[in-house]
Amino acid sequence: MPLCDAEKTFVLHGVDANMRIDGREREDYRPMELETDVVSHAFGSARLRLANTDVLVAVKIEVDSPFPEKPFEGKLEFFVDCSANATPDFEGRGGENLAVELSNCLASAYRSNEALDLKKLCIMKGRKCWKLYVDILLLEVGGNLFDAVSIAVKSALYNTQIPKIKSIHVDGSQIDIQVCDDIFSCTRLDISGAPLMVTVCKIGEHCIVDPNAAEEQCSVGAVVVAVSRGCLSTVLQTGTGSFHPKTLKECLKLGFSVAQNLEDSLMETLGEIKPNQDVGFLK
Amino acid sequence: MPIDHKRINPPEDAVPYKLFTKLNTKSSQEQYQQILDKNQIRKDGRHASEHRKIYMKTGVIAHAKGSAYIEQGQTKIVASVFDPREIPNRLDYCLKGEVYCDFKFAPFSCPKRRLHQQDSQEKEYSSIMKKALEAAICRHEFPNFQVDVYVLVLHNAGSALSAAITAAGAALASAGIPMFDIITSSTLAIQGKDVLLDPDFEEETLSEIAIEKEHGIIVISVLATHDQISHFHQVGNLPLNVVSDSIDILHKSCKEIVPLVQKCVIRSVLAGISET
Repeated sequence: MPLCDAEKTFVLHGVDANMRIDGREREDYRPMELETDVVSHAFGSARLRLANTDVLVAVKIEVDSPFPEKPFEGKLEFFVDCSANATPDFEGRGGENLAVELSNCLASAYRSNEALDLKKLCIMKGRKCWKLYVDILLLEVGGNLFDAVSIAVKSALYNTQIPKIKSIHVDGSQIDIQVCDDIFSCTRLDISGAPLMVTVCKIGEHCIVDPNAAEEQCSVGAVVVAVSRGCLSTVLQTGTGSFHPKTLKECLKLGFSVAQNLEDSLMETLGEIKPNQDVGFLK
Repeated sequence: MPIDHKRINPPEDAVPYKLFTKLNTKSSQEQYQQILDKNQIRKDGRHASEHRKIYMKTGVIAHAKGSAYIEQGQTKIVASVFDPREIPNRLDYCLKGEVYCDFKFAPFSCPKRRLHQQDSQEKEYSSIMKKALEAAICRHEFPNFQVDVYVLVLHNAGSALSAAITAAGAALASAGIPMFDIITSSTLAIQGKDVLLDPDFEEETLSEIAIEKEHGIIVISVLATHDQISHFHQVGNLPLNVVSDSIDILHKSCKEIVPLVQKCVIRSVLAGISET
């Protein structure tokens, strides 16, 4: 729904007075709801609800052969699906651009080996490796997709179980992989470096985090800051608009500090989740 | 990925032969050590903070409304801009005009052969270019219309994206599209403590790999008169203070390119006047 000028002015004045339309301050997040292990056919999954934004992420694992230029590394791919349930704008090919933007952003945030060590996914040098398919389904769009998606992806990867390999038989070009029979013996991924993205929106003279759909329409420009282990792994601008170098640095600083707080609380929450819960979404 | 039936494609599992040559037996660490010597001088004799020389020319394509050709070191790029036209298959009226960008590597432009269809990197570059150019163009001047910008990389010797944005800016200006300012762009590659301005292809690929903990590539495009950064893009793993410092370095470097683009545009205008 496009806003009229009066509504935009209302949002703008709210941000100016550090009292946004839903009562938050400029650096506050909306309440989040996180569940892991929701999809039984996936190797790892998570569902995040950030106020009106709803995201479901599932990780599938397959055996593949590594890229010839990176024989020691596994593969990681992101697919974003914009369901037309989320908003009517996504009908047909409407969500395609957003989906490409989101998956590109995730791919560049995870590109560095500091973010996720793909070498751990190698089974046999140059021959076999694990390939992780991270499928992201947008169930509802209520603003701030980048943040929600990155949190859900990190939680899904945290939840992911990679099967253990018992033995590998090599016979010429034939490779036989024997996976461990015990379904409970699997390895977990090290996700301490998995980046979290924070969208910093510039509205009027101030920067805010976690914009809702109305605030996103009022922003003159937004920067997505992906932070992993105290370093910036990706920064990119979304939407049009330009920044003064000074403003850009302020945005980066704000995004960086917010991301670190977010990281701490996410890790705490993930630690609290008990395995095999039988209540929740899709249960 | 849809298969291209109109052209003969190489087998999908083809491997560039360079992977088997002796050059490739060096680890990336060894390759990296040769890039910069103790005096911060690079392989091609440039200082680490030195930009490559740029040659630029507008009006290279007769059929396009405006076009530009750029040579940045060995990187060679053609950009062309076509007249605003009505947005196809659009029902509602939009107040601001749209910019369509198409970034393409020629099949022979990189060490590895590129396919004719746009791959994900080219799509990413197109969307970065679109965002960078949208901020520079007065889109309210042509509501409900679309400007097409096509960029073809003939030779990728590093920093292709920023050279493409600079060239596209000059092409837009020579096409007479209303713009707020001339747009220029610059790239920075970082590995450990080394900061390389305008990296070539080898430096760029080595900075993408984590040899040391801090590494990355930053591309920014600048509207110089108003001191505005129209697009900022970073990948890798970099601490906040390094990124902040890099913004200043890149901002300065972008400003240094502006007179060159201005001269180039003025020359094309003068040539147009003398013709009539």
